Formats: sequence, structure tokens, C-alpha cells
Amino acid sequence: MNPVWLDRMLAVIVVSAICLLGISRIGSIIKLFAIQSLVLSIIPFLMNGPLGVHRIALALVTFFLKVIIIPMILFWAVRHVAIRRDSPGLFGISISLLLGGFLVGLSFFLSSCLVLSEKPFSDLLIPSAFSTLFIGLLLLISRTKAITQVVGYLVMENGIFLFALLLFDVTPLLVELGIFLDIFVGVFIMGIVINHIQNEFDHTDTSQFTALKG
Amino acid sequence: MIDAIPVLLRFAIGLLFPPFLLGIIAKTKAFFAGRKGPRLLQVCYDILKLTRKGSVYSPTTTWIFRVAPLVFVAAMFVSTLLMPFGALKAPIQFYGDVLLFVGLFALTRFLMVLAALDTGSSFEGMGASREAAFSCLSEIALFLNLTVLVILSKNFSLSTLLGGYTRSSWINAGPSLILVVISFFMILLVENARIPIDDPDTHLELTMIHEVMILDHSGPDLAFILYGACLKLFVLGSFLASLLLPFRFHDDWINAAVFLGAMIGLAVVIGIVESSMARLRLNRVQSFITVAIVLASFALIIVLSRTL
Repeated sequence: MNPVWLDRMLAVIVVSAICLLGISRIGSIIKLFAIQSLVLSIIPFLMNGPLGVHRIALALVTFFLKVIIIPMILFWAVRHVAIRRDSPGLFGISISLLLGGFLVGLSFFLSSCLVLSEKPFSDLLIPSAFSTLFIGLLLLISRTKAITQVVGYLVMENGIFLFALLLFDVTPLLVELGIFLDIFVGVFIMGIVINHIQNEFDHTDTSQFTALKG
Repeated sequence: MIDAIPVLLRFAIGLLFPPFLLGIIAKTKAFFAGRKGPRLLQVCYDILKLTRKGSVYSPTTTWIFRVAPLVFVAAMFVSTLLMPFGALKAPIQFYGDVLLFVGLFALTRFLMVLAALDTGSSFEGMGASREAAFSCLSEIALFLNLTVLVILSKNFSLSTLLGGYTRSSWINAGPSLILVVISFFMILLVENARIPIDDPDTHLELTMIHEVMILDHSGPDLAFILYGACLKLFVLGSFLASLLLPFRFHDDWINAAVFLGAMIGLAVVIGIVESSMARLRLNRVQSFITVAIVLASFALIIVLSRTL
């Protein structure tokens, strides 16, 4: 519909992913993820082509699931385990920010190598999908607290969602709703698991799982 | 002698307006804190008061200590001459003045650090080392931002990079220009020692960066440094304002009014940021600058992927 605004929204998604790497307060991490998902749920309206039931359903489900329900579950889990901050993790904040910038560059390079059968509706779409995917992966492997790792998984999923918009016309709605159900159940279970970890070990630091506890 | 008025108007704005900016920031902060705040012209009164006083020089200092404030003011003034104010053209423009602009900043930083070391005080040495560390990081971000603008406008002159020519760039490369604006705003806060980085109003030696370097300056020297700092904030702010104002009118007075309005808006935004944020811990400052660098490099990547 409007390629200029589509580009801006995609840039906002990547920037919010980069900012996630630089934050260590868990409340802000969850809020920033919700903002990223909010922008993500606007994207189906900005693509060219007619506005069908498929598109509206996708946007609405994304909005309710990722902007409202999942952040609620995460906040509930945070309240129960009573943690406020994540430790900077494996790399430290500056290094992970620079790695994030490097991954953005890498994803632009990768997407320029990619040969597609038809041209995507915006040339920023694939690079930003790759960047979000990689940054989510970085968040997942570099942080130590279980909740941040869940958010990393969700950011990765946002990247996959962007990538799946390429195949928008050929994917049935049922398949996408199935993916959403999977994410919902996954996050729900992770919330419960985090609580159990807290009850069992008195912390949710996954880097200490390898230490024996008698 | 064809258009003397725009040039004179520019000189008037560039010389008289900078101290107001600090007054507006102080007023905004006072408004948020529920206080009355200092007068709008307080900085001018401070500068005038300092020029009437004598200077005290420590016997350990050399000529570098006395030259540094003069060079600071002179270099900042030359950089205001290079910078277009919104749609008001810059009096001096040539191919490559971007590099002179960055070079002037580097020159002042170099001399201020030398002057701080010249006093032989350990406090000033500490401030100098902090200033050197953070400014060499922020220079990377500054250069990346300028590279984005150079690629977009295919020209090496500040007046072409900014100043009313950016309208088509805003349509073609909106995302990267937004990133440049955010990143440049962060650099502006770092360079001018504003709050998330450094608090210009505190005098707690352990945490301050810029203030600790000028502790030993007094009298007219301090007045020069204060005025130079106003000019620096004004120059970097007018960079942002010119970037954000991609239109121009035929009448220079309207152009000047629009530009001054944008600068006042920018000062209010800085005041809001200052009153809503706490100062970062010193070891988090580098993360803050890294964010600016990453945003600028992201903007560069987008521009490169579009144009190549």
C-alpha cells in the first residue's frame, strides 16, 4: 500500500531488536518485545494487494497473542520469581550490541546472495527478517536468565513471521494459526517451567544448571 | 552586496542565540521539577560577569593552558560559519568542508585535553582521560552518520548534505535518515556532556567528565569556554534541525523563524530527556555510544543496499 511506511516499520523492528540487546532490566525487555510485536502486527496492513480476511486475521491474532497475552504471561512469571534484572550474560552489553550490528550487516549480505523466484514487495523485508532472527538467536544464547531466553525465542519467531510474509499468498490461514498456537503453548509452558525452576533451585540462572546440587 | 541581509541575519543568530538554548533547557528542567528556575538569560549574565574578572594561573601551567580556551571559541565559531541554519545558507562552503567540520571538533578536543593535562592536577588528568576515551568512540558514530549523508547527497559539502536539499532523501531513504537523526541526537548528548552521560550542573569529581577538565580555568578563560560550549550545542543542534527541516520558503525571515522554532523545540526535547532520565553509570556510557554506532552503521547498511 505504502512502501515508504513499510520500510520505516521494518527499520523500527530491527532497531527494537538491537535495543533489546542493550537492556538488562527484564520489565523493559518484555515491554520492548511488546512494542516490536505491535509494529509487526501493523505490517500486514501495509503490504500491497487487497485487504482480505486472511490478512486481517493474521494481524489481529498477532496483536492479541504477542502484544497482550504473551507479555501478560511473562509479567506473571516475572512477578512470581521476583527478579528485576538480567545479568549482561556471556558477552557484556557493548560486545553484544556490536555483534548485533555485525549480524545486521551479515543478513544484508546473505539476502543479497539469496535467489528468489519472485521479487518481494520490499527489498528491506528479507534483510530485516534475517536480522531479527539472528538477533533473537544471539539473545537466546548469550543471556543467562530463563525469561530473557524466552524473549529471545520470541524475537526469533518474529523474524520467522516476517520471512513467512513472503509466502503469504500460498500459506493457508490454518497453518499460520497452528504456528501461533505452538508459540502460545510454548511460552505458557516456559512460564510454568520457570516457576518450577525457581521453586527447585531458588534462582532462574540457567548457566548454573551444570553444577550439581545435593 | 546582493544579499547582505541573509548573511547578517545568520551572523546575528549564530552569535546571539546560543546562550538562550542553555536557558531554555534550564527552564524546561525547572518546569518538570516544579521550580521557577534561573532567568532565560542567566548564561549571558554569567559570561559577562566572568569577562569582568581577572584570571588566576597556576605556576605549573604553560602557554597551552592559556591558548586552549581561545582556540575552543574560535574553532566553534568557524564551525558555525560552515553549518547551514535550516534554509539559511552557510557563508563559507566548499567541497570537503565536512572534514574541516569534524577536524575542528577534534582540534578543540585535543587542545582541551592538553590544557587539562597541563595543570598537573590528578583530577583534571582523570577528566581528560575520560573525555578522550568517550570522544574517540563518539567520533566513529559521527563519521558513520556523515558517511550516510554523503552517500545520499553524493556531495562533500555540509550545505548540500543538509539545508533544505534533503526532501527527496526523506522520501527515498526515510528509515536510514530516521536512524541518523536518533544516532546524531545521542552523539549530541555525549559531545555536550548532557545528562544521560554527564551532568553539567554537578561538581562531584568522581563522576564528572567535561566539568572536571575546566576546573582550573577562571575569569575570561572560563567565559570563553562557557560561550564555546553554547556554540557547540548550537552547531550540533542546528545539524539536527537542518536535517529535520527539508523545506524552504522564499522569505529569509520566515526561514530564520522556522529554524529558531526548531532549535527551541530541540532544546525543550533535551530538557525533557534530562529531566526524565537518570545519569548513566560511568561504565555504561560506552554502551550508550555503542548504540549510536550500531544505529549509524545500520543506516549505512540500508543506504548501501539501496544504492549499490
